[in-house]
Amino acid sequence: MSYYFTILSPTDTPVFNIAFGTSKSGGDGIARFRFPDTAQYMNQFIIHSSLDIVEEAQWTNGAMYLKHVDTYPPAAAYISAFLTPSGVRFLLLHQPPQLSNSGGSSGFGASSILGSSSNLARGSTSSIAANPTSPQTEEAVRQFMTEVYENYVKTAMSPFYKQGAEIRSPVFRTRVTAAGKKWL
Amino acid sequence: MTSPGDVTPVKPPPSFSPGSGRNASKLRYPEEQEPTVSIDAELVESRSVSSPSPSIPASTAELPIRSASPQARSIRSSTPQLARSSFGSPFEGRFDGSEDIRSLIIRAFSPTVAVYASEDTDDLVRNKGFKGGFWDLLRPFGETVTGKVIIRDSVGASRAWEDFGVRFVDLKTLGRAPTGQDPGRDSPLAQIEQVLEKQLGASDGSSGTQVPAKDILGFSATTPPSKLFLRQLLCSTAASPHETFGHPVASVIAISSRNKAPLETLRRLYAETNTGEQRLPDWIHQEYLRYYVLVHDEERDDITETTKLYDQMKRHFGLHCHLLRLRSSQCVVTDDDSMQVPHCEWLSPKEHLLGVGETETLVDLGTDGTSHIFDSDVSAIKSFVRELIVQSIIPYMENRVAVWNDQVAARRRGISGRFMSLSKRWAGFSSSSRSGASGSSGGNGGNYDTEHNFYRQETPEAILRKMADFAFMLRDWKLASSTYEMIRSDYGNDKAWKYHAGAHEMCAVSMLLNPLAMSAKLKLESVDQMFETACYSYLTRCSDATHALRCLALAVELLKSRGGSATESAARWAMRVMDFGLVGSVGQILFMERVAACYASKTPVGGAKWGARRRKAGMWSLLAADQWLQAGRPTLASACLEEAERLYADVLEVDGVFPLPEMQSFVDNLRRAVTSDYLQARGFTAQDEPASGEAGGTEEFSEKLDKRKHRRSLMGLPSQLDAGNLISGGPRDPDDQPNDDFERA
Repeated sequence: MSYYFTILSPTDTPVFNIAFGTSKSGGDGIARFRFPDTAQYMNQFIIHSSLDIVEEAQWTNGAMYLKHVDTYPPAAAYISAFLTPSGVRFLLLHQPPQLSNSGGSSGFGASSILGSSSNLARGSTSSIAANPTSPQTEEAVRQFMTEVYENYVKTAMSPFYKQGAEIRSPVFRTRVTAAGKKWL
Repeated sequence: MTSPGDVTPVKPPPSFSPGSGRNASKLRYPEEQEPTVSIDAELVESRSVSSPSPSIPASTAELPIRSASPQARSIRSSTPQLARSSFGSPFEGRFDGSEDIRSLIIRAFSPTVAVYASEDTDDLVRNKGFKGGFWDLLRPFGETVTGKVIIRDSVGASRAWEDFGVRFVDLKTLGRAPTGQDPGRDSPLAQIEQVLEKQLGASDGSSGTQVPAKDILGFSATTPPSKLFLRQLLCSTAASPHETFGHPVASVIAISSRNKAPLETLRRLYAETNTGEQRLPDWIHQEYLRYYVLVHDEERDDITETTKLYDQMKRHFGLHCHLLRLRSSQCVVTDDDSMQVPHCEWLSPKEHLLGVGETETLVDLGTDGTSHIFDSDVSAIKSFVRELIVQSIIPYMENRVAVWNDQVAARRRGISGRFMSLSKRWAGFSSSSRSGASGSSGGNGGNYDTEHNFYRQETPEAILRKMADFAFMLRDWKLASSTYEMIRSDYGNDKAWKYHAGAHEMCAVSMLLNPLAMSAKLKLESVDQMFETACYSYLTRCSDATHALRCLALAVELLKSRGGSATESAARWAMRVMDFGLVGSVGQILFMERVAACYASKTPVGGAKWGARRRKAGMWSLLAADQWLQAGRPTLASACLEEAERLYADVLEVDGVFPLPEMQSFVDNLRRAVTSDYLQARGFTAQDEPASGEAGGTEEFSEKLDKRKHRRSLMGLPSQLDAGNLISGGPRDPDDQPNDDFERA
């Protein structure tokens, strides 16, 4: 599973970006997205386009953690979102690894997008790496988001941080990485 | 945050508009505009452009002509209730773009009428310049019937339709095409792709200076490539056992007044269609209406003789007869009352490939390639077709539907029918468990012929399917969908997978077409489920890619036309088409555009900002632009780019500036690449461009939009074409406007 985590200001400007891979089940923590190296901008496109859904979901969902809000089927990218009181949004794009039988994944593996949501679970069902919509994954992402949120609040309270500016703090970055390692 | 209301009028789409210009990009998705006006304007402009320049291939010229009746149609047409029915949409205009698509889909499932003419009739017509004989002559006129056609549905309510038509086919080729076809190399899908390539090649114009302005104006409600694609897809499926749309509802048997033994010939022709060598395959219901036509040669034969013969005919063959008076000589352009033969709308991809090539060679020779026909002949044929449809075909179909509904469907629907099908199922289980060792080849005692994979024509399953199809063609979607729903499980029990898929597909389609089902809380999930089943049966169980693609394309278009949350479903189906790899490279891009269009058609709820899918639509538009560029079609790419910028205009704080850096750089690169490719394709490097741009009232439209661009950039340094300049074009535009006026004044 590969992750792309973004913090967006209320005006959609990115405050913080990080890409990392899973550390669970023998992962090395390096992101391997399905896009070719020349098309890494797709992550940002997908994140940006999911704001449509986030804007809709934030009025219908009472929680700060909006859970899995959006999917980009062609690349099997899933977006989870988290809202903060100041209108800052945490968006996590997660993408399960390319299945070994690529023919299967391009064929009916994608039918989980509509209706039956249990199709992608045929890999190792329990690990969160294989199934982005399972309750386990939701819970793990929630834990991750909460931890990042705590760190974000501390960072935002720093007297040297200007509201809405990019977060350059290396401490924050290492803490997000640690949270990712811990939960995802 | 800015609200859409105050952004759109102030903000023109950002700078770069080489080909399509602002008007074009707005015309493309006129949901937000005044739709009738835009269509009207497009018509006028495209006419004025296309008529004086005969060099536009017929396939592109055809597009505006056939949209010539949308105004009439939108008043009373395929979707009359749709605008009335309330499902929380304040934007009524949104549906007018999809109205056309609905009409297209409905007309795709028109009754088929086979034509079987005697030799002498075909000779007579061939003299007139129609190579295919009598069928070739009738064909264009069957597609639209003049005037309204009134159809009564199963509960006795009448409705008038303006866009009713029939499909004339040659009886000799009917039902025989699949055998001779090579499934690999020229499968319908590959042919569709070729047609698209050709069409785009014709409109994108690598010839540079000769690009007609029309190809840009052609982007109306839905881009014509995607519409062309849909139309090609809908008419690419040959007659097959599992659905009866391609089966003849009636057959026209024609003789001419030259015939020496007219009545005997008619009898012989009838016998041939019934038992002889022209007998249709077993899976086609043999009981269809026979309609006898006597073609009178106005120039050589005596009308009194013919009338006498006609009376005799009526006495022998009953009321389904017609006397068609034609002139036998060939019509040329210079004749007084000559008029162009109307273009056939429903050409299969194969014919398209042949036909387009033919006109192109003729264009080179200096003629305009289309044949002409006498005015009197046209009116004779039109009245013949109208009489055929209104007085024979429709009453016949209504009658059949009523009879089958009474005799077969009612029995099936009743309590005993349910019990029977249930007991059959149980019997099936027991028998298959008994004969499990023997391979259960005979199925489970059903009517399905597992050896030839069809139901025999007289079995209730086949008749019910035919009845549902008839009801569908008569646009009685309520009856059609309930009938499909009734039989679809039977097919599954019999493991008749193609029938199974077809019934699910058409059940979902007819549910979506039924405008009244909307108020009855149409369950989107069940529709989705049906499409899912149909698609799975087509693809996995039958590996029939053409039908699967047709099913998915119908799902996309119809769900999109439903609006609301159905549009997201539509977008998902479009993505799945791409995912399945059913379409070629051009098709992929077209479906990307469709995804963008689906998302773009989702409007915000009430006055709130949320609920729209502008970012998603914009993203897909940009991706499509990227793909068009890679496919070497800068004109289309620039149109998509324009569209994307228009869509993004609502959601971006600053025009054309994306908050995310990698997106920004991608868009910048794309803009630059599209600009340079576009100018290159237009032969911009050739310095004579601005000079030729000055002339020509016919090209006025294109001059207004892009020649100015050229001129300005020529006057300035060429290096000014870089992206930074183009993006920051917003404030420059006010300067340009007076400049432009000054030059033209």
